[in-house]
Amino acid sequence: MPAADADRGDRRSGLGLQQRRALNHAAIFLTIVGLWELGSRMGWLDPLFYPRPSNILRSFWLIYIENGNIWPEIYSTASLVLSGFVAGSVLGVSLGALVGLNGMVRRFVKPYVIVLEATPRIAVAPLLIAALGFGASSKIAIIMLVCFFPPFINTLSGVVNVDEQRLELFRSLGASKLQLMRKLVLPDALPVIMAGERLAMTSALSGALVAEFIQRDQGLGALIMTYTRNLNMASSFACIFTLTILGFLIFRFMEWLDRRIAFWNSEEGLQRVGARRRKRMEGLA
Amino acid sequence: MNMPTQNSGQADTADQAADAGAKDAVVAARGLSKTFADGTVVALEGASFDIAPGSFVSLVGPSGCGKSTLLRLIAGLIDKSSGHLKVHGKPVDAPRTDVGMMFQRATLLEWRTAIENVLLPTEIKRSLTKEDRRNAAELLRMVGLHDFRFSFPTQLSGGMQQRVALARLLQTGADVLLLDEPFGALDEFTRERLNVELMRIVAEVGATTLFVTHNIAEAIFLADQVFVMTPRPGRIASIVEVPFERPRSPSLQTSPEFNEVVAEVRDILGEDH
Repeated sequence: MPAADADRGDRRSGLGLQQRRALNHAAIFLTIVGLWELGSRMGWLDPLFYPRPSNILRSFWLIYIENGNIWPEIYSTASLVLSGFVAGSVLGVSLGALVGLNGMVRRFVKPYVIVLEATPRIAVAPLLIAALGFGASSKIAIIMLVCFFPPFINTLSGVVNVDEQRLELFRSLGASKLQLMRKLVLPDALPVIMAGERLAMTSALSGALVAEFIQRDQGLGALIMTYTRNLNMASSFACIFTLTILGFLIFRFMEWLDRRIAFWNSEEGLQRVGARRRKRMEGLA
Repeated sequence: MNMPTQNSGQADTADQAADAGAKDAVVAARGLSKTFADGTVVALEGASFDIAPGSFVSLVGPSGCGKSTLLRLIAGLIDKSSGHLKVHGKPVDAPRTDVGMMFQRATLLEWRTAIENVLLPTEIKRSLTKEDRRNAAELLRMVGLHDFRFSFPTQLSGGMQQRVALARLLQTGADVLLLDEPFGALDEFTRERLNVELMRIVAEVGATTLFVTHNIAEAIFLADQVFVMTPRPGRIASIVEVPFERPRSPSLQTSPEFNEVVAEVRDILGEDH
């Protein structure tokens, strides 16, 4: 009975489910990396395009520590992503709210939104560069463009789709337009808006890379272009994995922000905010 | 039992009747009608009635009989097409603070704790005081949720959510309470318990209550008067007086006298029921 054997084996090793899972993942990961290294050494993989993991590791050491030349590029890309994201999504949310709340404007704007939504935003990047010239402004404009639509669309639909009975409740309480906005429509739309923001943040990184690929002056995108042109694939891979980490951090950050802002969608958030409100109100009463 | 008082389509009679409405009626209607936008759907036709202060009125009937429309007219959420409607002697032309409404769904704001939800009506009127918070906590105690005042709606059961909504309704300070199938989405046991509590609470605060339901037994059990309504066009077919003493216990519903009233209402509604 293999199942019973396994069971006994686990008990002897004294490992919890979590640790066993972690071990499994580590084993699989190391196997893949090992095969890759082996394949590269044995000549099954072209080492020019598939550099050995050990070489990639050395590139990491070079660009992070020995030369340290990746840091300014990470800073450049990250600040670009952040500024473009903030500008684009602030614009998206405010215009979305404005359009959503005004029925006339909404009807007028809708066909354009549909057309623009069907157009891949990134296609406009060269035109933006032509119009604004090389440099930070056109890069930020590209990121703004890709960051604008998800929050815009989500805010629009969020403020339009307010529950009819809740609207009636607010009307029966004699709420003003501003109160309706602040106490019902905006908080109600927040989870949807945040979903848009998360989408925008993910696109922001891609937008930044495209902008840097075209302009090739600074940032991780430019660095990847340079290394690849010099056939330094190991360093290119090191940059790509850097982007993986950056993307992952951004994703976790947005997740964290979402839980903070739309706290009522998670049990953890309800507990946390509930305890805080209890303290505050007991202080007041 | 009163005979139905209908003045449908007789505008001049309705005009005279408007002034003739009982002096002490909290809600008075004469020939009240509502036709929806395209003019083909007559949601309510020629409703005339007087509701005495502190009384409990049930509106019962199948869907499309105009019971929700009547409630929304009294709440000032929709405009009448013709006829007269006064609350506390003043014509209804907009939502007003002496009339409060509760819906089938609790319509709580899920980013607010129970007590913050209860405080919403006051917050909309003015800034909150210590007294308001104490009052809200007291209302939550009245509906049996004092220990849950810092819980969020999603942490509460459906029945508890409706209790919060009831506390919020009472926080408005309105003395005319409009309840649109408030416990309709709850299970039988919870609904029965909440009905009994509702009777106790509205008696305690002395509110005049209009309660919409499609459950005949529930309508009779709760009310002093039952407005029996029929559809196409929506109208009050009859107003049935309920003779039972208060306080009432759920066992009343098994008595022969109670079932006589049920039979009477059923008779008015026709053979579909």
